[in-house]
Amino acid sequence: MSVGVRLFLSSALFSIVIAVAYWYLSHEPTGTFLLGVMAFGLSFASGYMILAERDANLVGDKRDADPDAETGVLVGTYSLHSPLPLWSALSITCVLVGLVISPALSALGLVGGLVLGVFFILQSR
Amino acid sequence: MSATTAPRIEAESNDLLGWLTTTDHKRIGILYLTTSLAYFAVAGLLAIAIRTQLARPDNAVVTPEQYAQLFTLHGTAMIFLVVAPFALGLANFLIPLQIGAADMAFPRLNATSYWMFLFGGLTVFAGAATNEGAAGNGWTSYAPLSEIAISTGLGQDLWIVGIFLVSVATILTAINFVTTAFIYRAPGMTMWRIPIFTWEMIATSLLIFMAFPSLAADLELLFVDRNLGGHAFDPAYGGNALLWQHLFWFFGHPEVYVMILPYFGVVSEIIPVFSRKPIFGYTGLVLAAFAIAGLSMGVWAHHMFTSGAVDDPFFSAVSFLIAVPTGVKFFNWIATMWRGRIVLATPMLFCIGFLINFLLGGVTGVMIASPPIDFQAHQSYFIVAHMHYVLGGGSLFAIFAALFFWWPKMFGVKLDETLGKVCFWLLFVGFNVTFFPMHLSGLYGMARRVYTYPANGPLPELNMIATIGSYVMLLGVLVFVWDVIVSTRRHEPVPDDPWGGYSLEWATSSPPPEHNFDSLPPIHSERPVFDARHPELTPP
Repeated sequence: MSVGVRLFLSSALFSIVIAVAYWYLSHEPTGTFLLGVMAFGLSFASGYMILAERDANLVGDKRDADPDAETGVLVGTYSLHSPLPLWSALSITCVLVGLVISPALSALGLVGGLVLGVFFILQSR
Repeated sequence: MSATTAPRIEAESNDLLGWLTTTDHKRIGILYLTTSLAYFAVAGLLAIAIRTQLARPDNAVVTPEQYAQLFTLHGTAMIFLVVAPFALGLANFLIPLQIGAADMAFPRLNATSYWMFLFGGLTVFAGAATNEGAAGNGWTSYAPLSEIAISTGLGQDLWIVGIFLVSVATILTAINFVTTAFIYRAPGMTMWRIPIFTWEMIATSLLIFMAFPSLAADLELLFVDRNLGGHAFDPAYGGNALLWQHLFWFFGHPEVYVMILPYFGVVSEIIPVFSRKPIFGYTGLVLAAFAIAGLSMGVWAHHMFTSGAVDDPFFSAVSFLIAVPTGVKFFNWIATMWRGRIVLATPMLFCIGFLINFLLGGVTGVMIASPPIDFQAHQSYFIVAHMHYVLGGGSLFAIFAALFFWWPKMFGVKLDETLGKVCFWLLFVGFNVTFFPMHLSGLYGMARRVYTYPANGPLPELNMIATIGSYVMLLGVLVFVWDVIVSTRRHEPVPDDPWGGYSLEWATSSPPPEHNFDSLPPIHSERPVFDARHPELTPP
């Protein structure tokens, strides 16, 4: 079991223990619910990681791996520029700020998001 | 060093469009750092306005309403837009370099997070331009005070939307950090060889996963209450008056550790380099970080002792427990310095300042973890002093340590050491002159978030001293700005590793190339560059 899985698993177990202890001591529903959600989330992540780990073959986990032989193999070609992040953040901001300022701004944000979606689909073809 | 295969990448554009569209983790890191420092400048000037108002009793520099907006924007900016995002920027720049990766796992998501953070902050500040001004309910924005019946202004709505954007951006960034650290490590960089700073960022990211959704939910409820006729916090309609506080502090206390764990990582990187020794107790430091992160999820209601509706012994006990792993870290740093050949360069001075200030903040933290003391100190300036010693004297000093330490790596230029030391002493003296008297004014009964105080008794003198200290701090920050200008103009080239660093970022050029590394040294420990320099000490 990898260090990452143990990390998430121990956090999940800790959350379960503290949620049970908190409910037993306080009988307070809001905090118990929050701790319960946290325990569930971490348990879910742990379960997912256990399943994903079966197919994982990470060069970083090999203690005596040779950087000369391995580095760069998993990286490939990638771009350092993309208009999508700024565009999508701007669209999201317009939609949310529009909710308190003007529906027109929200509509503009939605149109922006739509254009972004079309661009993304065309680019991925 | 052995030659490695560099990834094939597109050319990086240096013009404005290049920066607007960048997905390079180093540039995004620098954008985060620059933006958070810009917000720091604004929040700092707001603090100066606050201290000027409080210099004398019955001052009329600002109106009571404006004062409420000042401390709200100051607190909001420092917590949501400066201390935590600066750490995210630093981690953006450093994590791939420290683990030998070419970039983050999700570069576009990384850039999206940055832009959402920038727009979120601007949205919060935009409230100041509305008719009724910015939000004025403090950085905690307690309901029902922040409900539409009391806070009618648009500024409060913009605060909600802005902080929501920042919180979503932070969660996305945390996903990126954990995925990158787990998946993209260089060959030989096993988890137990990851540098401490990256470990601290993994713990911080875990905290963000657990705590920030609670804040997002709280903001959504308040938004529905204010704009869609909800009654989540109104008992008359079946709501819960304490719900806001529970949800907020379930985020809010872990947020304190989101703002301090990265800086534990910063001092853990810097102290060994300037002590000329490996870090003492690597495993203990890592485990202590996760112990702090775990325990911090169970202390939220120590902020609510005075509500009379929480389990005081439970939250008090868990709060006391956090002092144990924090103490472990403290002893590790001292043991690292013990019998080291200490070099008092500017980054090290700031780390020592961090240790002194954070110790004071930690001790008062243990004091107010005790409900009887908290009942006395709650909502007083004692709390203001405590939180500023932790986040100002702690995190802020580590921010300056990080700036002086990694500046050559980021820009290929070293900041002037003489000006750096002047900056340190002005900030250290100014900080303690500002905030130490606040312990006393709190114990004398001065309430926080109030624009004036009684003219008789010791409060006028204590407040005047604090205001003088704040101006000394301002001078310290101006010296830093001057240092940046002078060093940039001088532009003296520095070697790739001017300090004799230990971790992988010092194995590449300053600044690093687009793909980060042309070659990597063999990795046998968490300090591969140190190992390459001292093969006789390399672990088998």
